[in-house]
Amino acid sequence: MTPRTFLRLLGLWLGLLSLCSVAIFYAVRLDRGRVPSGPYIVSVWESGARTARKVVHSEPELAHALEAEAARSGAQRVVETIVDSAPILSHSWLLLGESVVPAQDGLSASYQGRTAYATPDDLRKLEAYEHTLSFGGQLGLPLGIHVNRVLDTLASELGTEANELLRHGSFRRFAVISDAAYPRKVNEADVTREAIENSVRSAARYLARNQRRSGAFHYELNAVSGGESEEYNYPRHAGATFFLARAANQFHEPLLERASRRAGAFLKDRSTLRCGAHACVGEGDQVDIGSAALAVLAYVELVEGGNEDYRAAVLELAAFLRSQQRPDGEFQHFYSISGGHPIDVQTDYYTGEAAFALARVHRVSRDPKDLDAARRALSFLVARSPWFVGAHYLWGAEHWTCQALADLWQRAPDRVALKFCLDWQAVNRNLQFTSPPAPSSNDGSISRGPFMTPRLTPTGSRLEAAVATLEVARAAGLPASEIELLEHQIKRAFAFVLRYQFTPGPTHLMPRPRFLEGGFPGSASDLHVRIDYPQHSGAALLRYWELGKR
Amino acid sequence: MRITFAVLNAVSASVLLLAVFALITPRFWVLDVPAALIALVELVSAAALLARSPWALRALSVAAWVTFALGLTLVSLVVITIAFLRGIHTEYSLAGLTLTALAVALLVPYTVLLPVVQLLWLKRQSVEPRS
Repeated sequence: MTPRTFLRLLGLWLGLLSLCSVAIFYAVRLDRGRVPSGPYIVSVWESGARTARKVVHSEPELAHALEAEAARSGAQRVVETIVDSAPILSHSWLLLGESVVPAQDGLSASYQGRTAYATPDDLRKLEAYEHTLSFGGQLGLPLGIHVNRVLDTLASELGTEANELLRHGSFRRFAVISDAAYPRKVNEADVTREAIENSVRSAARYLARNQRRSGAFHYELNAVSGGESEEYNYPRHAGATFFLARAANQFHEPLLERASRRAGAFLKDRSTLRCGAHACVGEGDQVDIGSAALAVLAYVELVEGGNEDYRAAVLELAAFLRSQQRPDGEFQHFYSISGGHPIDVQTDYYTGEAAFALARVHRVSRDPKDLDAARRALSFLVARSPWFVGAHYLWGAEHWTCQALADLWQRAPDRVALKFCLDWQAVNRNLQFTSPPAPSSNDGSISRGPFMTPRLTPTGSRLEAAVATLEVARAAGLPASEIELLEHQIKRAFAFVLRYQFTPGPTHLMPRPRFLEGGFPGSASDLHVRIDYPQHSGAALLRYWELGKR
Repeated sequence: MRITFAVLNAVSASVLLLAVFALITPRFWVLDVPAALIALVELVSAAALLARSPWALRALSVAAWVTFALGLTLVSLVVITIAFLRGIHTEYSLAGLTLTALAVALLVPYTVLLPVVQLLWLKRQSVEPRS
């Protein structure tokens, strides 16, 4: 082969590769901006279950489709209109999983002349969006759908087996617009003081409504199955109590005041242990400082709300936190009760939580040791070597750090910490989805990567930090342009969070919508509410509301 | 030129081995086997070239063809995957697109350009003695 022939063949490969790429791109893409022309998938939902479905192809047919079924008491008729569709390119299980965009696309299957549709509502109901194919260890491939679950459902509708359908059926993915009022249409201009107050009250009432007599919460509710998780987590209980008590202090609602006292009593009376000379919070032989730190935050709010019973308890827990602190400001995150000694191991969040807790407790204790411990912890958290180039790109979850900054600012201002929090918010700004090109429902959210649905709680916790940073930026007299950037970022993120709050949410998918009212789900595809979801989003909204009050 | 190719092959084999076997965990045969194969033939050819072995040019030819074939396959798969994912996630796969395009840009010099240059040089070597 001559060099010229060789280079020609290389050119041919390049041309073929380009041609294949363009052909694949145009074959699989959907135009979500098209004027919807149908077919129209009409479903009737009762008590969270689909009880009737009809697919029609014209508007006159649509007007009367499933009219009688929809007229039944408690029935909801939802129309999902197909905007565009595209073929799935092969009968590969993997390719099928990768061909559906989570929380946006539906999937249809045709087999022996019949077609079944798994619409976005069906896929949410099946909890079939987003599935990670694990290769062992940490290596995993995110898929848009749980392929087996979807295949089983479509096959059952078509009267065949999943494997037979995969081999001999033909599949299309499709985009829809739905007439269901979820997610709500909320943009930056809708983030008003009134909307924020309503949202916070609603989130706090969610927690109050889902509280047991003992003061513990129903930890995690599944909106689409109506079930709940058996797990429990003390740091999250304490965090939820902190938010409830703050909301109670601001709005003076008896329901919230009672619920926060009950949740506080659960911590104080049932979960307080002895860690050597100090009190601590948790269960078993080993406790963490996260539970104690968040309990301190909750108790401070309860004391400020007039519950003096918590004063002694909060001072004892603060002493425990201080006893866990190292000379460099970092904390030993665990304590062995049987061994009677701290365990110098660190995990995420706890140092920030302890810094914030000690800053807050100083307002009650007036003990300079608390202020000094909080100040040193904050300095430790924000110290980054100038030689570490990656410092500009690699960040942890710093929401507690920046709240500690704001709480300490009037008593122990830390300019390094302010710069740190501003830099982190700049990174978050870069990760924020903008519509267009992102779908309007994702505008303002924080990206988890190009192939996954953005989650509400990471956006909510970053918002807690963003509002705290905004508060300090204003107090420190930062340029108006910097403050404007932050505020714009915050309002867009709040719009995203409000869009997905269950007010009342996709009630047609919910067997028990009354219990979910006010909750924030995990994401557009994960309609579970865990107690820390309303805590973080609600606390961020409340902080912004409080800032406006000042 | 022999020394240059020997050094380049040894360096690319080392980078490949380091990247795949020291940095990426856990083990996954789809990546491990081709990477190990390329590294092996490149190291053998580098050693042969440095030792001025009589079969050095043949070893270089095998290494170049293996690298070139696997390189073209890999680049083709990555490019087609980009096109597919860009089509599926039309609106917001820009970050993924940028990252995978960067991966291709980093792959091409080692897996396509270097073996092409080596094959062209080998061709000239095989022509020159006859002329």
